[in-house]
Amino acid sequence: MRAPVCLAALVGICSSHLAFAQDAGVTYSLNGAPGLLEMPTAQSADAGALAATFSYADGLARTTFTFQITDRLSGSLRYSIVDLYGDPTSTIVDGVFERGFDLRYRFNDETTYLPAIAIGLRDFLTPGRFGSEYLVASKTIGEALTVSAGLGWGAMGTRDGFDNPLGGLDAALDTRPIFDESTPEGQLASSQWFHGDAALFGGVEYQINESWGIKAEYASIAYPQQAFAPAVDVETPYNLGVTYRPRDGVQVGLAYLYGTEVALSGTFSLNANNRPGMSGRETAPVPVKVTATNSRAAATWDRAVLPEPVLQSALRTLLEAEGITLSGLNLTDTTARVRYVNGRYRSQAQAMGRVARLMTQVLPAPIQTFTLIPEDRGMPLSATTIMRRDLEQLENQPQASQTMFDRAVFADARDSAPPAIAPSNWTWGLGSYFAIIPFNEGGSVRVDAGLTLRGIYTIRPNLVIAGALGQSVINAAKDDPIADSTPDVQNVRTDGGYYGDDGVPVLQTLTVNHYARPARNLYSRVSLGYLERMFGGVSGELLWKPVDSHLGIGAELNYAAQRNTDMLFGFDEYDYDTVTGHISAYYDLGNGYHTQLDVGRYLAGDWGATLSVDREFANGFRVGAYVTQTDLSYDDFGDGSYSKGVRIVIPQDFFTGAATRASYSNTFQTQLGDGGARLELDGRLYDVVRDAHVADLSDTWGRFWR
Amino acid sequence: MMHKFWICLGAATVALAACGPLNEGSTGAQVLELAATRIAGAPPVAASGLAVSQDEILSSPGKYMRVNISNINRWDTMARAGTNGPRVTWVDGSNMTLTLENGIIAATRGLPRDLIGANVSETWHAIRAGGGKARREHEFLTDLDSISTQLLQCSIAFKGPEVIERLQNTLNSVRFEEECQGEGLQFTNVYWVNDAGVILRSLQAVSPDAGYLQIDAF
Repeated sequence: MRAPVCLAALVGICSSHLAFAQDAGVTYSLNGAPGLLEMPTAQSADAGALAATFSYADGLARTTFTFQITDRLSGSLRYSIVDLYGDPTSTIVDGVFERGFDLRYRFNDETTYLPAIAIGLRDFLTPGRFGSEYLVASKTIGEALTVSAGLGWGAMGTRDGFDNPLGGLDAALDTRPIFDESTPEGQLASSQWFHGDAALFGGVEYQINESWGIKAEYASIAYPQQAFAPAVDVETPYNLGVTYRPRDGVQVGLAYLYGTEVALSGTFSLNANNRPGMSGRETAPVPVKVTATNSRAAATWDRAVLPEPVLQSALRTLLEAEGITLSGLNLTDTTARVRYVNGRYRSQAQAMGRVARLMTQVLPAPIQTFTLIPEDRGMPLSATTIMRRDLEQLENQPQASQTMFDRAVFADARDSAPPAIAPSNWTWGLGSYFAIIPFNEGGSVRVDAGLTLRGIYTIRPNLVIAGALGQSVINAAKDDPIADSTPDVQNVRTDGGYYGDDGVPVLQTLTVNHYARPARNLYSRVSLGYLERMFGGVSGELLWKPVDSHLGIGAELNYAAQRNTDMLFGFDEYDYDTVTGHISAYYDLGNGYHTQLDVGRYLAGDWGATLSVDREFANGFRVGAYVTQTDLSYDDFGDGSYSKGVRIVIPQDFFTGAATRASYSNTFQTQLGDGGARLELDGRLYDVVRDAHVADLSDTWGRFWR
Repeated sequence: MMHKFWICLGAATVALAACGPLNEGSTGAQVLELAATRIAGAPPVAASGLAVSQDEILSSPGKYMRVNISNINRWDTMARAGTNGPRVTWVDGSNMTLTLENGIIAATRGLPRDLIGANVSETWHAIRAGGGKARREHEFLTDLDSISTQLLQCSIAFKGPEVIERLQNTLNSVRFEEECQGEGLQFTNVYWVNDAGVILRSLQAVSPDAGYLQIDAF
């Protein structure tokens, strides 16, 4: 049967016959940002877009991650492997590893007559090589043609440059400081920004159809043959390219650059606001079982007919089917307090909704008050009290989500949680790992991949032994240690490349961990053993975090000794131990922003602070950046000058829609130095606690009824 | 020089290095899974079914219904799973549930874009009255885990008698069409109603991503 009906989805989708260029969104340049080939445009991706671009040309390979932070502001992190002219320039330094950060801001939206105009900084933490600044304007003409023109400084001002038009504002802008190769990179290159000669660039992009587009540009990068400059042969400033987008989020490109070489590129993008897994593909919850009015009003229930152990067993069985482990149950005549471990749902709110509905299936009708207590690592995290009649009345009704949230009572769980029931005590798993480990100076990296065997032995719910054995399969580092350019600073991170490079099994971690709730609003952790791949010792942490507060305060104190590079049991190779610790403040700013400030002593004995800011989407997608400043001098830190980086967390259910608490995550650092280094500990308290507290619960409360 | 390209490519895969419960922490597996998802799109939904014979369905009025989910090319038999006032929740063999109020969809669970909740009583009253106007309020779960509300104005029209055939049976009915329109959403539902006022068959919209369901009540 085929009915004469038409489901119009979003009107914009159903009725749109927009231009191809607008339909398909922006294209990405070889630099990984919206743009032409080597040159930028003033266009922006949709807010929340995250794109990974891989581009390869002879002597210049780049991997770039670009995130559209807001409608107009975007940032990029780039790893490049580039051939440089040596000194003298007749020699080539092959394959130097470079990192870079870009920022772009678009001032306005394009109108009928006015182009979009944007300003940008390329590689703004590095005073040389690729460092550039630009102003660019882009205008769409017709349905598929976009024309861009701009003014570039720095590397983008090296072709037919002219006197800086900004020189009239300040004579200092007329001259760009000469790049000194020995200057440690990583510092804000503000003394270079918009200094020196400027040059014009421009180009056009034509979208032939939804899939195919062509680009042509006049590039203002001349790649002059200078010592330690990128060794790119340039015969002409004109570049040509073609893009192919076979499906949403995928772009491949082919370009002919500077009259000398062919470049390949691929861009894969997604948007944090558009979840491929949509609202989820997990199976339906069990519906609410409605109680009869007369039985609901009864003062108690008959324990001879429904003994508590029977109820507990039944509830445990039902919860197990939902991937939730019953950890404790207290029943009175009219109330039930259930303590559980949510092992399946990213959203604790969704787990609460599932637990509550299953309670209606099992518990006697007089029990009208449900208190739901999620637990992690043996700690009760929060206590959410809801009324059974609300579940019955609100199920499947409009406004049910908000009404349930408004009526729920959120409280600390320390004093109200039933005692935890000991769970099964042994789990294990075999997986694989892949890592690129930067080490020492000069941009060296080591690629490592292999297998990891993990095991967890649970003595009590809050007392756990956890360990991991690793076996490297691909191990590229066999070089002897190179000279240490910062001998006054312990190599707490820069020797990381030498760890576990013998090709034999290594002990990645082995710790005993104890978690507790010492007082209301307080959480504690003690970890003892081989804490991470480079350090062992003891770590203690205390966190103050009220359930309904956006603020958390933590304190961590560690005594750590540096492990041997064979990653077995010894500590004698370095004979280095230290006391390190931090006071940390965590604050949920709301509107999807979260910040953290850590102040204290780092592994190399340096004192300082780390500031982190994360853009957090309610679906768990996070992109953040952090920067650390300590009393270690930039020279002692070495290349990179100070610790900074970008981190990305993407929940697995974002892609698949299948219920899971697992996520993909990584932190991208610039040059790795020994300053500002913290222990890499698993299970720090704030991350354990936060998703069961009100700020995070409210973010995903829409899933309560899912 | 190509080895540099692969190292760069590897740098990207580090982005996907994972943490998670034990054996789900395999970076390689996650990357491959992620790549497969990105390349092939959502995993296909397998067809499934409750093992209920046609005879059983026909001999047990009110106990079963059949649903066809055209968007994911799946049909299944559904059985009663619960009752809450005038609403009955049905479940199929894949643990997808459908909550109906007098045969009209009030909620779904287990579809790619569920209808989290709706009020549909005015539509039912209009059908009983032979046509008329109705207001609906539909709620969906967004990609950001919040609730999106759609207010819809609907017009229900009587379209005359129609004979429907199913499971070798011929049934008399009258056909109603309900046109609904809201900000960013419009759809047309079709109902085939028998003399007793029971919706025998219907074609009802759930959400833009879930499309239409054909529901046969027995």
